[in-house]
Amino acid sequence: MTIGGRSLALSRVRLRRPAGAPRPAALALFGIAVLATVVVLGVAAGSVAIAPGDTIGIVLRALGLPVERTWAAAAETIVLELRLPRVLTALVVGAGLAVAGATFQGLLRNPLADPYVLGTASGAALGAAIAVLIPIRVALLDLGLLNVLAFAGGLAAVAVVYRLGRGGPFAPLTGLLLTGYAVGSLLAAGLAMTMYLSGANLRQIFAFLLGGLEGSSWLRLAIAAPLVVGGSIAILARARALNGLLLGEEAAAHLGVDVGRERGILLGLATLVTAAAVAVSGLIGFVGLVAPHLVRLVVGPNARHVLPLAALLGAVLLVLADLLARLLGEIPVGVVTAVIGAPFFLALLRSARGGYEL
Amino acid sequence: MRPASEVPVRLTPSRATRAARSIATVALLGLLVSACGAAPTPAAAPTPTAPPTATAAAAATPVPSPAAAYPLTLTDDEGAAVTIPARPERIVSLTPATTEILFAVGAGPRVIATTDFDDYPPEAVALPDVASFQGVDVEKIVGLEADLVVAGGNKFNSPDALTKLRGLGIPVLVVYAPDVATVLKDIELVATAAGEPAAGAALAERMGAEIGTIGDAIAAAGRPRPRVFYELDATKEIYGPADNSFVAEMIELAGGDPITTGSSTVFSIPLETLLAADPQVIVLGDAAYGTTAEIVAARPGWGGMTAVEGGAIRPVNDVVVTRPGPRLVDGLRALALAIDPAASLPSPPSPAPGG
Amino acid sequence: MTAGVARPISGLVPSIPSAAQAAFEDVVVAYRERTVLRGVSLAIAPGERVALAGPNGAGKSTLLRVLAGLVVPRSGRAFLGGDPVDSLDRPAIARRLAAVPGQVTFPFSARVEEVVALGRLPHEDPFRGPRVADRAAVDAAMSRVGIDRLRGRDARELSLGERQLVLVALAVAQAAPLLVLDEPTAHLDLRHQVAVMELLADLNARDGTTILAVLHDLTLARHFFPRLVVLDGGRVVADGPPSAVLTRERVRSVFGVDVALTGGPGSVADAATPAAGPAAADAAVTAGAR
Repeated sequence: MTIGGRSLALSRVRLRRPAGAPRPAALALFGIAVLATVVVLGVAAGSVAIAPGDTIGIVLRALGLPVERTWAAAAETIVLELRLPRVLTALVVGAGLAVAGATFQGLLRNPLADPYVLGTASGAALGAAIAVLIPIRVALLDLGLLNVLAFAGGLAAVAVVYRLGRGGPFAPLTGLLLTGYAVGSLLAAGLAMTMYLSGANLRQIFAFLLGGLEGSSWLRLAIAAPLVVGGSIAILARARALNGLLLGEEAAAHLGVDVGRERGILLGLATLVTAAAVAVSGLIGFVGLVAPHLVRLVVGPNARHVLPLAALLGAVLLVLADLLARLLGEIPVGVVTAVIGAPFFLALLRSARGGYEL
Repeated sequence: MRPASEVPVRLTPSRATRAARSIATVALLGLLVSACGAAPTPAAAPTPTAPPTATAAAAATPVPSPAAAYPLTLTDDEGAAVTIPARPERIVSLTPATTEILFAVGAGPRVIATTDFDDYPPEAVALPDVASFQGVDVEKIVGLEADLVVAGGNKFNSPDALTKLRGLGIPVLVVYAPDVATVLKDIELVATAAGEPAAGAALAERMGAEIGTIGDAIAAAGRPRPRVFYELDATKEIYGPADNSFVAEMIELAGGDPITTGSSTVFSIPLETLLAADPQVIVLGDAAYGTTAEIVAARPGWGGMTAVEGGAIRPVNDVVVTRPGPRLVDGLRALALAIDPAASLPSPPSPAPGG
Repeated sequence: MTAGVARPISGLVPSIPSAAQAAFEDVVVAYRERTVLRGVSLAIAPGERVALAGPNGAGKSTLLRVLAGLVVPRSGRAFLGGDPVDSLDRPAIARRLAAVPGQVTFPFSARVEEVVALGRLPHEDPFRGPRVADRAAVDAAMSRVGIDRLRGRDARELSLGERQLVLVALAVAQAAPLLVLDEPTAHLDLRHQVAVMELLADLNARDGTTILAVLHDLTLARHFFPRLVVLDGGRVVADGPPSAVLTRERVRSVFGVDVALTGGPGSVADAATPAAGPAAADAAVTAGAR
């Protein structure tokens, strides 16, 4: 190939890496190892003491390996039906939130963006609150009305924001952000009113708002995981567009990115992932904000590296947070992520070189 | 408290009519319950109707249920069909009321875990806890190999946790009593599920009859019904019984005319409304939290109420008044005396075991 | 009057669009309230180095955006490499035109080489990302622009001048035959202004890159660009060598400022010497007229 008429001797040009920065591939392997460890920890710990050896044995036996049964049937039920789906749900939700957070941050060019920035949180919460108030007990495939309306609410909120945020005097990104804030506030007011009217149901709505993985089951995982994982992979496939947006929408257009189309697609995918995560686990904060930042600190802003590594980190974070939440007496996992995430984020801000330009 | 959707439209009959209606319903149900027996499956043997005054002995030595009663399918208070494959030997109770019921009908020895806010009977307090205000520990319940879980409806216990337990094959019986009649029904239901249908029927029938006699005594005395305000809490807003609520019904049964909030979904009452209603008796349901008659009398603006002027501010043990369990009649008795200390109530029959 | 007044060249466009690196044919751009471009026709041959000047609001930036396909004209067409812009998709446009923005903000910290690597986006494999050839192109672009010494630095910590060079390197890495710049020397100190200008001249001379730059600084335009197009009120009012185009009368009529011109085309002293007497300037201009 040539640049302006001059050909290059390809064989002699090598990418020079700054000293000290680990390769993304090595980081990914490390991340997978950490994740595996954390998953085992998560499955081994709980309010009923089960020997770690038994835990591993139960899982191996379930996978079809010939392991002798040395445990009670109850232990098997606990590990396979209660803990394993819960830990795997934490894994999927954590990864999804991190990917969605990274996408919104890149799309909106705003380091403060998280998966809920365009109103997903308020929409899902309002949907869940309405579901709690409706005196119908509906359950299809282990998904109650709450999960379905939370999912629908999250999607609907962003759809409204997208429609309203376009046009108008502001640049498209600014318009989206501002509209997201306005619509989110409106929905939050609706939520507050619903909570006020909820009476005895307040606790259930609150539990959703604080986020929790107690309701995890294989069936819910089977429904949420394809959405989260599929959406995340689809986003990763569009990493190029996300990279192009680093310098702004106009620069991205000059680099060959169909900005309007990519913005809509990325927004839709990220919202889908977020809504699916929220539908099964409520509003868990900070994972989607912190994980992408941490990863960018080490590997830079290249979305091709940030997205998968953030997914790994998000999964690890949430599995650990859920473990902690369980051991501390089933406090809501959203509280744990906030208590850990907020000070960490503050430290991050202080150490970040040069601050952020918005 | 009855959910909004179930409240029938009511005209406002006179207080006496309302009271009479409640008493009649309860007494009738008590009789019906004892007449029909408990087990709905055809294989169950019909239980004998125990005489009202000799229920103590009957409750202490329940008729053993025949093995053919199981597997048993019951409909719980949320309309779910609950199938219990065999006589439960490892019962978990997730509400204080159901714990009391289980112990009262003789299933106590088979209860293996309760909540951490159970307080009666003492044997129950000592049992391991699998539920707290934070929620239900599904893992522990599974770990204890429970074969029957009795839970509270109206979202008292997390519906997600109950669904999870059912999904793991553990039968979960959900009970919820918005009125006194359903309390008796629930006693039957829980007892049957636990394999003590006779004891349950007997207990319910005894309680129904006792409620009836108390009502008769109050009616016979012919005293006018005082306006009663049952204070649930008044630290910030004033909380009292909602319309058609459980507490309102208890007050009626106890010979009072309840002052309610005016809505079945609102539980607070503004001070002006309370002043306008002018209670003649104030019953302190929050006595256990330190509220005393002196404190109430000293509250600004409360001095004008008849109850305050007349010193008719009396505490009750709110647990027995509001808990939908076997001690409800004790609560009714206490409430009646709080409303009218001079009421002459029939003396209670010999104390029921465990209660 | 000078002999260098631009003739209308619209007659050229229909006959040789395929030879033009970029061309505008009677482009009209209008919004609800106002018309920004009133029938602009222009052709830029491959290998040319053209400066676009004019007062604020003349439509210079809009013209560039029409060329990049970011603004759709109400009538008229723009051409890139002989093809109408409206028939090209974004990746195709990106392969023919590389744009250097005036200034950008970086929401996240990024290394210089990562920023320059963005220029390879149109060439990257969408799924597998940059290949060896892409990385080589990035290295080559950085060397070409002379910012090897900035490798590894955080782009946000660079001075404005250094940033501009990085953005130029990004556009060079994009390896498009046409390089378009919108006021690349705004906010730059004199040294960096000259550096950017010399770089553009170098790219044009050695690599044959066609250059179209919007410039406010008439001195720089005059000194570094052999062809200057002046836009005023949405129309081309002059097109030709700066010596012919930038006369005292024209500057006064288009920009409303009375200036003195010193030196002639190619004079290095232009940027620094104070204005000489009017007579000498006129003589220089006449002498340099084509």
